[in-house]
Amino acid sequence: MEALRVEGLSKDFGGIHALSNVSFSVEVGEHMAIIGPNGAGKTTLFNLLNGQLSPTSGRIYFFGRDITTMPTHRCAHLGQARSFQIISLCPNLTVLDNTLITLHGTKRSRFQMFRSINADTRLLAKAQEALSAVALWDTRDELVKNLSYGEQRRLEIALTVTSEPKLLLLDEPGGGLTSAESADITDMIHKLGRDITVLLVAHDMDLVFGVAERIIVLHYGKIIADGAPEEIRVDPRVREIYMGIEENIENATAS
Amino acid sequence: MTIAELKETMRQQPWQVLLIRFAPYILGLIALVILPPFFSTPIQGIWTKFLIFAIFASSYDLAYGHTGLLSLGHAAFFGAGGYTIAVLNLHYGIDSLWIGLPLGILVGALTAVVFGLIALRVLGPFFLMITFALGMLTFSIAWNVRWLNTPGMQGITGVPLPDLGIPGFSWSTISFYYFVLIIFLLCFFLVYRIMNSPFGYSLRGIRDGEPRLRSLGYNTWLHKYLIIIITGAFAGVAGVLYVYYYGMIVPAHLAIGTSFSPMIMVILGGSTTLLGPVIGAAVIEFVGYFASIFTPERWPLILGGIFVVTIMYAPGGINIHLSRLWKRLGERYGSVKS
Amino acid sequence: MSAEAFVLNLLNGLSYGMVLFLLASGLSIVLGLMGIWNLAHGALYMVAGYIGWTIAVHLGMNFWLAVLLGAIAAGLIGLGIERGFLRKLYRQVNEQVLLTFGFLYILTNLSLWVWTGRFRVPFTAPALAGSFIIGDITYPIVRFVIIIIGIIIASGLWWLQERTRIGAIVRAGMDDKEMTMGLGINLDRVSMFTFLLAAFIAGFAGVIGAQFLGVYSGLGLDMLLPALIVVIVGGMGTMQGALFGAVLIGLIDAFGRALFPQLAMFTMYLLMIVILLVRPSGLVGRRI
Repeated sequence: MEALRVEGLSKDFGGIHALSNVSFSVEVGEHMAIIGPNGAGKTTLFNLLNGQLSPTSGRIYFFGRDITTMPTHRCAHLGQARSFQIISLCPNLTVLDNTLITLHGTKRSRFQMFRSINADTRLLAKAQEALSAVALWDTRDELVKNLSYGEQRRLEIALTVTSEPKLLLLDEPGGGLTSAESADITDMIHKLGRDITVLLVAHDMDLVFGVAERIIVLHYGKIIADGAPEEIRVDPRVREIYMGIEENIENATAS
Repeated sequence: MTIAELKETMRQQPWQVLLIRFAPYILGLIALVILPPFFSTPIQGIWTKFLIFAIFASSYDLAYGHTGLLSLGHAAFFGAGGYTIAVLNLHYGIDSLWIGLPLGILVGALTAVVFGLIALRVLGPFFLMITFALGMLTFSIAWNVRWLNTPGMQGITGVPLPDLGIPGFSWSTISFYYFVLIIFLLCFFLVYRIMNSPFGYSLRGIRDGEPRLRSLGYNTWLHKYLIIIITGAFAGVAGVLYVYYYGMIVPAHLAIGTSFSPMIMVILGGSTTLLGPVIGAAVIEFVGYFASIFTPERWPLILGGIFVVTIMYAPGGINIHLSRLWKRLGERYGSVKS
Repeated sequence: MSAEAFVLNLLNGLSYGMVLFLLASGLSIVLGLMGIWNLAHGALYMVAGYIGWTIAVHLGMNFWLAVLLGAIAAGLIGLGIERGFLRKLYRQVNEQVLLTFGFLYILTNLSLWVWTGRFRVPFTAPALAGSFIIGDITYPIVRFVIIIIGIIIASGLWWLQERTRIGAIVRAGMDDKEMTMGLGINLDRVSMFTFLLAAFIAGFAGVIGAQFLGVYSGLGLDMLLPALIVVIVGGMGTMQGALFGAVLIGLIDAFGRALFPQLAMFTMYLLMIVILLVRPSGLVGRRI
């Protein structure tokens, strides 16, 4: 069963070809990583999958359903959850508030205007469960902007998972974290059930090889490699890109 | 600690702590109910005006403070409600409250329905400008359309106080005040509910991070649209009461100057809080009244100065400082589990 | 409409448009570069007009001195607002706009206090008094002069924008702030200079424009509103946009008043809304 299928996806920004003819599919429960140099189009791809952007051409299918032009909130209702490259929790709200807002996102109660948000004890219990799992229950009344970067990241990932999504889009989840904190994230992803499909964008190779069963390499908006981690590791084209970058840096520092 | 245990600890708080937490509301309510009859009639009028603008300011804050929608056009909703009453009186001779008030709210909300559809198509600085243009558009409509003006003058005058349909009843300043008070308390309660509901939380989430809220499943456009309509309805209430109070309305009530009032009340009192807009309205109306007696020419200038100072150095408004004071009092009386 | 009336309205529209251009150009560049609607811009115009009146009429001094002092005063006030207040609210766009609104309010009431609310009769430099007579038309010289001054300044500003280094920096800053700063350019100082220049020009416009628009305390708002429309309709960030928009609005205003006085205001706001919906960057503005 395919969780996600992308066909001929392209995105142009007035002359810049961010993505060109990208095609791949992901099976349910697969953990896949998307890597590539900066500017390769990884976040653009996520934005397209998540409905924040519309493609110039191509199609996206989510569990068999065409979601090419579906807006973001509807993608969420269909079972997508996403974390952002730049942490986008609500900084002026408390940890608990952020959690409750996340939990209401896919429920009808999000339009509720008369009952207090604290009245729903089931959701409060769920919030407690989610926050305790990442040791943030005790800081629930702290404003998010007062948390450390690592704690904020942990919270964001935890919240992304808490809505029990079918597809998890993680954009640079390890960005700015120490290797210990990154290892925590790797653990968290491993603990997810086989029902959850995970798409991961990352630069941290430890994270990538620790989590991914399959890797896609993007370069200037095109897929140049797609396969198992061991294959990618030794793929000459991939080495060329990363080596090429290293070489350029070496040349630059030498001269 | 389970949820049940959490609720237990909250219930066990020493009564002093709870009293201090709710004291502002209790004191405020007592003051609003008991004090006005002791003042002279003109001052009772100021109490009334303050409550009317407290409604207007609170509704404005729902859009500005909670949702981050800075607009310059909400005077149009206010004016729409007011003109409804005025027109009902002028052309149809209808003075009944039971027709006027609901209709005024409806017209205010409908104006917002139209505004929202247009204004929400653009973002950021353009939203500000388009709401401004929409507001001035309604102003020019009110100015030019003859049907909206008493013959021979600008605006509509001679609007009487509402007819309650109670035989033998006639209004006095103080009875009108209590009438407005009841409506104010109702609106206050509704705003309180909305603020603390999931919907209210989603608004603050949208203010702080709209892309994220969308990816969580919130149709942010719809939420923003709904709050604009709600703002319109409340502003319509304020407009209705205002016309009853003044007995007249002029096109200028739809212009940018009227949009300034709730803005400064919210900034001064403290946005995104329940009491902030009310405090702001109280300060502006009462201090303004006394200032107009002693320094009528300088008051707008002083007001402008206070506005600038507040934005620069006290962005949380009066409310933040008061609530900090209150919290410290609360901490003195026992462990405060916030 | 007779030929004379047509020409009259045309000239009225152009002269009013030129004054609007002077205001709108500054408003537009500040918006493009700093992202702020300076709602106090019209108030700067107004204060300069009052000061100009004081110098030229009340004190009976040289008219062009009045123009210079008015412009300098406006520039200094603008500088004060930017340095003392706006830059401290770095990145808080909503608060910055509210702040400028506050200053509009303050400046308006300050002017009321100092100069009281009497409607100031338009004042004219002796050299500019009188009118041309062409055929059947009698037309004040002043308005002609303003049109010419406007064209000269517009050319000068265009040259500044397109042919100087500072103009290139400003344009770059509007396109991509981070990149420009990354090139080592002190965008903060450039913004300050831009704001100062815009205020100066607004002040200049205030004294010149007072020749046929007069000076009164409501000017702060009355000049701001059409300037806003000009920026939106004409396009933000460019001199061409400001000029185009100003001439357009000026002509709509003049012909509107003559043909359908009630609809003029309505038309302009409607136009503004349509432009915002269809082409927010304005008809001739930078594509954002």
